[in-house]
Amino acid sequence: MEKKNQPQPSLKGTFISVMAVGIFIVLMWVSIYLLYIARL
Amino acid sequence: MHLHKYEKIWLGFGVFALIVFLSVVGVSAFHQGHTPSGGHMTIDPENVRGTAPFDEPGVHQREDGSYEVVIIAKAFGYEPSEIQVPVGEEVTFTVTSEDVVHSFSIVETNVNMMVVPGQVNHKTHTFSEEGSYLIVCNEYCGSGHHFMSTEIEVIGQ
Repeated sequence: MEKKNQPQPSLKGTFISVMAVGIFIVLMWVSIYLLYIARL
Repeated sequence: MHLHKYEKIWLGFGVFALIVFLSVVGVSAFHQGHTPSGGHMTIDPENVRGTAPFDEPGVHQREDGSYEVVIIAKAFGYEPSEIQVPVGEEVTFTVTSEDVVHSFSIVETNVNMMVVPGQVNHKTHTFSEEGSYLIVCNEYCGSGHHFMSTEIEVIGQ
């Protein structure tokens, strides 16, 4: 059984890692898209 | 279900990114009319040279002034081997293969498509600069794959 008032786990490191991966994917996507637009 | 504050932020970020990416693809397809280069036309791969337009590979001017370049890809080259097109004009490449899967990719342009036996693929491009452009096969097609290339001359009018 879970207790109702469990302390919140610290997800700061997870948050930074997830955002870093997300920003990397977005930057790659945008740079390839701009390359495509430039060559139209 | 309890969600941590950070979990809400990264889930929101993911959903937002997905919406943006799919919107770009949707606008490009339905508003700007971008289509995949293949899947529209089929051809009997055993009788490529007896089927129009591949009975006359080469550069043809259409009635509306644009150009069509009809190309047969084969192990290990492209036919015709010499292609000249004018700068600033709309050129449609119509390509098929008479043996195995190849590709047709003009370096430093958006022209990059698969060439599949039995399928006729198209890509339209307008060259904005004169010069010689390299065409390569980027799909491994056999022992001579690395020799499979040609050039296209874009000339002033």
